[in-house]
Amino acid sequence: MNFAFTDDQLALASTVRDVLRAHCPPSALRTERLPAWDRLAEVGFFAMLVPSENDGLGLRLIDALPALEESGRACLPGPVVETAVAAPYLLEGAPKLASGAVRVAVLPPGQTYTPDADLADLLVVARGHRLHVLPREAVRLTPRPGTDPCRRLFEVSFTHAMEAAVATAAAVPALRRATVATAAQLIGVARELLAVSVAHARTRTQFGTPIGSFQAVKHQLANVAVAIEFAAPLVHRAALSVDAADDLPEETAQAAGAVDGRDRDVSAAKAAAGEAAVLAARTALQVHGAIGYTEELDLRFWLARAWSLSDAYGSTAAHRARLRAAVLDGPPRRYP
Amino acid sequence: MDLDFTRAEQDFRAEVRDWLTAHSPGTLPSMDTRAGFEAHRAWEELLAGARLSAVSWPPEYGGRGASLTEWLIFEEEYWAAGAPGRVTQNGIFLLAPTLMRFGTEEQRRRWLPGMAQAREVWAQAWSEPEAGSDLAALTSRAERVDGGWLLHGQKTWSSRAVYASHGFGLFRTSGTRHKGLTYFLFPLDEVAVRPIAQLDGLPGFAELFFDGVFVPDSMVLGEVGEGWRVAMATTSSERGLTLRSPGRFLATADRLVRLARDADPVLADRAARCWIDAEAYRLHTFATARRIETGEEIGSASSMGKVFWSELDVRMHTLAMDLLGDRAAETPWFDGFLFSLAGPIYAGTNEIQRNIIAERVLGLPR
Repeated sequence: MNFAFTDDQLALASTVRDVLRAHCPPSALRTERLPAWDRLAEVGFFAMLVPSENDGLGLRLIDALPALEESGRACLPGPVVETAVAAPYLLEGAPKLASGAVRVAVLPPGQTYTPDADLADLLVVARGHRLHVLPREAVRLTPRPGTDPCRRLFEVSFTHAMEAAVATAAAVPALRRATVATAAQLIGVARELLAVSVAHARTRTQFGTPIGSFQAVKHQLANVAVAIEFAAPLVHRAALSVDAADDLPEETAQAAGAVDGRDRDVSAAKAAAGEAAVLAARTALQVHGAIGYTEELDLRFWLARAWSLSDAYGSTAAHRARLRAAVLDGPPRRYP
Repeated sequence: MDLDFTRAEQDFRAEVRDWLTAHSPGTLPSMDTRAGFEAHRAWEELLAGARLSAVSWPPEYGGRGASLTEWLIFEEEYWAAGAPGRVTQNGIFLLAPTLMRFGTEEQRRRWLPGMAQAREVWAQAWSEPEAGSDLAALTSRAERVDGGWLLHGQKTWSSRAVYASHGFGLFRTSGTRHKGLTYFLFPLDEVAVRPIAQLDGLPGFAELFFDGVFVPDSMVLGEVGEGWRVAMATTSSERGLTLRSPGRFLATADRLVRLARDADPVLADRAARCWIDAEAYRLHTFATARRIETGEEIGSASSMGKVFWSELDVRMHTLAMDLLGDRAAETPWFDGFLFSLAGPIYAGTNEIQRNIIAERVLGLPR
């Protein structure tokens, strides 16, 4: 057993963090739809999970996880998970994915509206039991209200699918990865919310002392730290489970019990990360007080991201229900 | 990163599982009764005979030199098998790490084998009537005499003290507050013990009265006057790892999800959350064990674990109460529920832990 990320994995995250600090500052969230995207493409962010034969880096999900967490921490807008994580599996072999020249939006099964659809070149839309791959020109988009100003929602309508539709079951490997990647982003969002809340509590003075010296404030922030600390390993576990099961042919994986374990681990990760981020958001708002309840403070973008991502690719409740089914159907013992 | 067990770790798990399947007596009468205490002690002797009572200790003291990871595997199997609670808990998991680190070789040879074999059972004696969360306010003292010390004062909430043979705790030898405290071991036979009935009606802890109890110099652990540092050096292992390993919570969570099999969606959702949190504690603990094995100090971060497992345990047992309704008290869940409620109080209240997290991990002002 080894829980440490490798130097390569951390170096990739560090590169992405530097790019995001320079090119996706909080002010950019008010003025740009796709800040830092060009620069991220240059450092290979969208090539991470594309196979090397298609000009990608051929990395595994676990390798990309710290970098994905950074994209959450920076509140990076745009269809990040869809383009960098889902597309390489949904649109295997499609040209220009690795270079980031093709942006992809996804409407997963169970959701009504497609986030960031207006920014996409290609849309992958679940309808009924089919998955349709559509160029932007082939669809009509109707804006819908959403919780996150940087993650706009659209109703997608189309008459003729330009490409052959496939069964939604074929999208499961991609959606599983997108779910784990979203969980990693939620951890990043939660870490940033905690950091800015701690910074505020150390400097905001009332009754002649920083509010962070009051136990009522300390204990709320400690609860957030605990929630993040214990959600993060579940996300790492999920990425490893997804990667490991993919090394096996589907029948072998099923025989080894890896398939049940994989869905269970993915759901555990998403539920825990979503819950940690929503707690971090709730606490951040309370610690900031009235200034947090304004459009003026950048905090609003991270609050909204916690809410929107916690519902993306399955809500916390939906994932708990799925996990419970997997546990009850699985073997009586959790370890071999 | 990989989360695979080595061949040796898998073999160890299989050996432990086979032995427990063949030998575990299941639930015994409460260890807070005379007969139950004896039954638990006898079980520990059997466990020690297979060198399974303290697997992570060096062989010369009764262990098998297992890694922390293997110890966690042992714990998973132990609780999954439904084996009895550990009457040796205070000694093996709280005192022994301190003895290993600060004791003399003579002390280790004198006390550890008897602890592993449950010939001697240890009680902790930290709190006093006026020194709970503020432990440094303690007033029990040790008076220097020829060849040793006379202990005076009063300790309370001393777990296992009613039937145990020995105790350990801090006494003042000079100074004030954290300075001038000394860590003592003492036999309980000359200490006046007043049993205190807990919520379940049984005397799980006791009040201790010291009226000049003599202990020789050989029962001072670490340097005289260094007791605070000696005691605190191992509290991180207490809170972070050894006090409550994930195994017991995993076993509880697995049973809980099955108890909630046909529950309404709200209760079922709570069960799933508990299962996820038990798994989170498991993964986090393996990671922590690996950090300790590579020489890292976990320090204040251990407070996060203590808050997490104790509140998880309360949530799990509260849910079981809700699921069982008026049948709860006829099941073991009720005793578990009462016991879980002690978790956020003992080993440093969760309020103290949250202060530690806020100040030492997050850097908020004192």
